[in-house]
Amino acid sequence: MASIQLNNIVKSYGAFLGVREMTLDIKDEEFLVLLGPSGCGKTTTMRMIAGLEQPTEGEIIIGDEVVTGVDARDRDVAMVFQGYALYPNMSIYENIRFPLRMRGVPKAEQDALIRRAAQMVELGEYLDRKPSALSGGQRQRAALARAVVRQPQVFLMDEPLSNLDAKLRASMRVQIKHLQRQLRVTTVYVTHDQIEAMTLADRIVIMDKGAIQQIGTPDQIYADPANTFVAGFIGQPPMNLIAGTANGGTFAAQGLKVACPLSLSGKVTLGIRPEDCSVGGDDVQGMVYGVEPTGDMTYLTVTTGAKQIEVKAARDFRSDIDVPISIGFDPTRLYFFDEQGQRLRGKA
Amino acid sequence: MARAKRKNRNESMLIRYLVLGSWALTCLAPIIWFLSIAFRPRTEIVGTYPIYIPTLSLDAWFQLIENWPIAQYLRNSLVSVTGSVIIDLCLAIPAAFALSRYEFKGREDIGFYILSTRMMAPAIVAVPIFFLFRKMGLLDSVWALMLVYAAINLSLVTWIIRSYMLDIPKELEDAARTDGAGDLRILWEIIIPACLPGIITAAVIAAIFAINEFLFTLLIASTEKAYTMSVALANFTGGSDGVIYNAIALVSFLAFVPILILVILIQKHLSRGLTMGAVKG
Repeated sequence: MASIQLNNIVKSYGAFLGVREMTLDIKDEEFLVLLGPSGCGKTTTMRMIAGLEQPTEGEIIIGDEVVTGVDARDRDVAMVFQGYALYPNMSIYENIRFPLRMRGVPKAEQDALIRRAAQMVELGEYLDRKPSALSGGQRQRAALARAVVRQPQVFLMDEPLSNLDAKLRASMRVQIKHLQRQLRVTTVYVTHDQIEAMTLADRIVIMDKGAIQQIGTPDQIYADPANTFVAGFIGQPPMNLIAGTANGGTFAAQGLKVACPLSLSGKVTLGIRPEDCSVGGDDVQGMVYGVEPTGDMTYLTVTTGAKQIEVKAARDFRSDIDVPISIGFDPTRLYFFDEQGQRLRGKA
Repeated sequence: MARAKRKNRNESMLIRYLVLGSWALTCLAPIIWFLSIAFRPRTEIVGTYPIYIPTLSLDAWFQLIENWPIAQYLRNSLVSVTGSVIIDLCLAIPAAFALSRYEFKGREDIGFYILSTRMMAPAIVAVPIFFLFRKMGLLDSVWALMLVYAAINLSLVTWIIRSYMLDIPKELEDAARTDGAGDLRILWEIIIPACLPGIITAAVIAAIFAINEFLFTLLIASTEKAYTMSVALANFTGGSDGVIYNAIALVSFLAFVPILILVILIQKHLSRGLTMGAVKG
């Protein structure tokens, strides 16, 4: 068990900056999720923590030890990969045994450790099989067992659920969280799936273009986004972002006028989550563009001016398209961002 | 209606079998031909009229065993070919590992340079190699053949194994590294087992090329001490006994059988091994 510190980490590939000046403190026993779109630098960051890549600049500390420049095999970290990465020529038993052999765990102790790890992921009866004889979910559980067997200081998980179908992903998610709580091992988890991030993380680090956009608990990230990138990335459907002008306590955009609680003026962007919009009210006048019932609610898309606004409506809401409709915003849930996309938190 | 359909299908199957059967027969004809020659008495081979039902005779066998050190030829072939393949694998596997798994400047160029040595006409280096081996006192020795075969095939073997190694996901290597394995351990326990079909294919192809090698063998082997099957075969075409057709057929058969067995063993991988280098950079 250990904390991890990244101090001013830079990773460049020629002129391209994969990770820019990243500083991050990961607490002991914490479940930290690196979230972001493809190419945002999250996997590179994880690979640098693993020692599979070395930072161009900066320092990595695991526990009390500076590990910058130390090879992956000499860091006490275990990694789970998107493609499982089970050794195809070895049985599941041998796969789980591999890290024990490499680290010189006495033979007499190996068997008990392997069986305990396999039991934890409910794979006890498949130990004699080759990876090719297992399903996707079982393979990923075997990869988990291989990671937990030697009780490392740090778990690293690189999109471990991406290759699984939606149902399996949900059940594996719970299993991973349970396992992490049970073993209390500091875990860094990389994903581009916001549901995984929100459900698993103690804290989420949102990344874009190699830089941290925001660090916070899932609740903080959702309720208090730092910029338009975070606001637009978290939430399903994502937050509506409407460019307009603020003047004298009013925000106005095409087809839309709302009272602005902050004393703002000039060009700003208004953010409002679909769940904070309601049918009725008089903030927006528009036309129904689409209605998508999902069973527990209805996604409603309204066209106003050049913009479309997503609304989470009641589950029994139904409408034809191209029908006039008015939408109201919850005035306590309005977010404002400046022209650079940074959150405005001026006094009301 | 259904009956007509079935009849049509049966007819098309029959045509298919006829075409494939004739093709198979065409391919097998030379083998059947030299087998039949190998087991005929010499008098029946050079007759004016064809003999459709030949007399079975083991003349050629006895003649071969009595007059020629055929066991020595076979042994020479076996030792030189096996040795060359072992040398090739010992050198090519680490080279392929470096060329497929390490990132370094000029990696692709080095890979291509290695393959390009195979494109050179062997005759260009024949004379220098002759002088080189003479100077080293290695002429007329099986060890020299072993080295020459290994050198000829090394580039191709490296290239084939490298192609297979490029196909192994990088994640496997990363996993082994975080599990605590070093480069040699990764090569030995993860990469080699994962590309074993490629290694076997490369080895068999190298063995086939080595068994069939003629030019350098003729150059280096000047007596029976180092003659291999391929050169021995040429020796049956002259001499005081004239052309001994049945013995030639028999030796051809003996030289051909090991290759046939090797090809059957790896036929599933063979086409992949031969085409992979071509399509993957």
